[in-house]
Amino acid sequence: MNGFALCFVILGLGLIGWLTARARALRFDRGGRKRLHSLPAQHGWYAAAWTVLPPLLFLAVWSAISPGMVRQTILRNPAAAQLSDFAFERDSVLAQARAVAENPYAGDVDPLARRLAPLVGATRSRYAWIGTLVAALLAFAAGAYAITRIRPDFRARSQVERTLMMTLLVASLIAILTTLGIFVSLFWESLRFFGHVPITDFLFGTHWSPQVIDAKDPGASLGAVPLFWGTFFIGAVIAMLVAIPFGLMSAVYLTQYASPTTRRWMKPTLEMLAGVPTVVYGYFAALTVAPAMRQFAVLLGDPYASSESALAAGLVMGVMIIPFVSSMADDSLAAVPTAMRDGSLAMGATTSETISKVLVPAALPGVVAGVLLAVSRAIGETMIVVMAASGAATITLNPLESATTVTKQIVDLLTGEAEFDSPKTLAAFALGLTLFVITLLLNIVALRVVKKYREAYE
Amino acid sequence: MQRRIRRRYAAERRFRVLGAGAVILSAAFLGFLLFTMVAQGWRGFTTTELALPIDLHAAGFHVERARLNTPAADLALASAGLEDAVENAATSAFGPDGATLIAPSAWTVLRAAVKRDPAILERRTVVRVPASTAFDRALAGEGTPAMKATVARLQRAGMVVRGFNWTFLSESDSTDPVAVGIWGALKGSLLTMAITFLIAFPVGVLSAIYLEEYAPKNRWTDLIEVSINNLAAVPSIIFGLLGLAVFLGTWEIGGRVFGPMLPRSAPLVGGVTLALMIMPVIVIASRNAIKGVPPSIRDAALGIGASPIQVVFHHVLPLAMPGILTGTIIGMARALGETAPLLLIGMRAFIVTPPDGVTDPATVLPVQIFLWSDEVSRGFVEKTSAAILVLLAVLLAMNGLAIYLRNKFETRW
Repeated sequence: MNGFALCFVILGLGLIGWLTARARALRFDRGGRKRLHSLPAQHGWYAAAWTVLPPLLFLAVWSAISPGMVRQTILRNPAAAQLSDFAFERDSVLAQARAVAENPYAGDVDPLARRLAPLVGATRSRYAWIGTLVAALLAFAAGAYAITRIRPDFRARSQVERTLMMTLLVASLIAILTTLGIFVSLFWESLRFFGHVPITDFLFGTHWSPQVIDAKDPGASLGAVPLFWGTFFIGAVIAMLVAIPFGLMSAVYLTQYASPTTRRWMKPTLEMLAGVPTVVYGYFAALTVAPAMRQFAVLLGDPYASSESALAAGLVMGVMIIPFVSSMADDSLAAVPTAMRDGSLAMGATTSETISKVLVPAALPGVVAGVLLAVSRAIGETMIVVMAASGAATITLNPLESATTVTKQIVDLLTGEAEFDSPKTLAAFALGLTLFVITLLLNIVALRVVKKYREAYE
Repeated sequence: MQRRIRRRYAAERRFRVLGAGAVILSAAFLGFLLFTMVAQGWRGFTTTELALPIDLHAAGFHVERARLNTPAADLALASAGLEDAVENAATSAFGPDGATLIAPSAWTVLRAAVKRDPAILERRTVVRVPASTAFDRALAGEGTPAMKATVARLQRAGMVVRGFNWTFLSESDSTDPVAVGIWGALKGSLLTMAITFLIAFPVGVLSAIYLEEYAPKNRWTDLIEVSINNLAAVPSIIFGLLGLAVFLGTWEIGGRVFGPMLPRSAPLVGGVTLALMIMPVIVIASRNAIKGVPPSIRDAALGIGASPIQVVFHHVLPLAMPGILTGTIIGMARALGETAPLLLIGMRAFIVTPPDGVTDPATVLPVQIFLWSDEVSRGFVEKTSAAILVLLAVLLAMNGLAIYLRNKFETRW
């Protein structure tokens, strides 16, 4: 039986538990000797929680440990003696045997896997049945226990509410667990990477070519400076040269000049730019913008111009960020007290003078914070650069030449065929850690700036 | 003085034009992007088919009837030489280069027809088979003059049929651009989104309730808030690295290797990863919605004897639901368009059969778009754009629903 069906059965048992417990509580209620402490439905929830939670917890643990137990049992069987001692090869044969056990028509498998298939299938189904039986027993036992505890003076409500409160707390802890998971996994894999490659080589080396790694000195071809430069150049320079003026000017126009009708229509239109998936931008950049940029470069007199220029990726990325900058600027312009604007206009300044001399300077901290957040967005952006930027790591100031970024290299390193422990794969995690730390710093600085700015006007 | 004022007014007009220009250019870019996709993609929804007369009996094609009802029917038909029979029929019907006019996958259409109605084996019949990419391009006006002449000849003979490309909506990935479809990817997306929703929605809403209604002001709560705000700004690719290391990695604890927690390339691992990614979005939106419910509602409920849990679950939560749902839909739309983390956890496989469950290898629509965009064949350009149009339509519908919900159920207190 598959896991989902089992979960449904357990939920069904929970429903039965709920109904039984409520019926029992209602009978006490009608008996009328003593008033019920809790509502009948609360007794129902109490029984349902007992019926559902223990078997689900058990299944979660079981699904984590049972594959290992299945493996051990198979490897102990004499039929498995022919399996290779190499873990990688053995796992591949076992995976194929499992596929054959599930679908006898699967073609193109190892003959050993075909012989082992019945054994694998039988062992797996035996453990699956053990799990199912124990879960069912747990559900019945715990449900029965809960139902026997129902008495008029039983405090079902406090119990249910305490459980619910625990659930709420656990749910909110998942955010911390995720952050911790990100940090620990990136940090751990990076530590292993820095066991192969000295950290100084990685952070300050200027040569990046992971395709050819010298086994004796892997650090020589894993210097990430060209990637940092490319990321900065595409995300923080070219993209911002597009996003800041366009985003700021659109925000100014839509808040200060546009009629309410224009504003009502144009604001959602601009926000649609933020809703377009990045893979679509990437496709557009690679197919339409990049060839146009190449032609432009040829016009300028470079017949060998790259069709994967930094400019194409940066331009499209900038357009993607426009609504982000625009809405941040919008918010901070709206937060400037009206008195300042009215005062400036009353002194005879034109609207544009009011904006550029009063509103924008007053809103500057908010705008700066918005720009910092936009930069953190841009350097973390992946699909546009994966599809439109080049893989060649060069340090260049010419936007028509190719440049590569951290995110593009992470994808390239991890989607090739490589074993999990090579310095090449681990390098992706070191790049990820760098990216994580930099975006985190940008966000913290941006939030600091916003906080300071808010205090200035309240 | 007059000149100075004129100059200032001119500057004012210039500034205004600049602002309007920024808005118009941004909107124009959006328009240009959509226009490009529609211009390239509309042909992806149409199909060119050739009416192929074929007589399998006369061609000496034999296959045991009894095997047609077994799961091995595909194998039986293939080994009996159905592909050659179709190519021969094409040569005799369309001329010496007939085999190049039909798609390489054309024989699978006949295979399906034979399995549906074995009587085809006995008599002459006309089957509509997909035309090859080269033929399709020539019909669109690109290609060699010889091919264009052939196209014109067959069109005069009435053998070319154009229609809506149902294959595109019902099939999965293939190496032949004529035979590809998005159903496999769409199904993968649906399964992934189901997992994402089942995890992110309850966890997000419950933690929003805890933080907004019950959390004591202490260091722990601050830590939770800080991590949620940071998670919302972490680049999506980092979540892919997290999924790769935590859900697909192996650990060695005490000499025993604990295998990958979840199967690779499956909607399950993709859904969990995306759930972690959009959870902060849902938490933040839900907190804002819960904050918007006025305290008087809570006081009234407490006043008539409700417990703190009852206040929230019976009164505050139903009132905050429209806002929570709007935030959830926006988060789900973001997850649906996400590509990068899924590339890292292996959802970029070449998937020919749609996944049947959440543990089968699968791909999702954005990743399918990415994979097709890498293909060299000219025919994939229009398929890629067509898939993009489908994705954009789904996203637009989701965002429209979010806006509708917000406008319909939003309460001003």
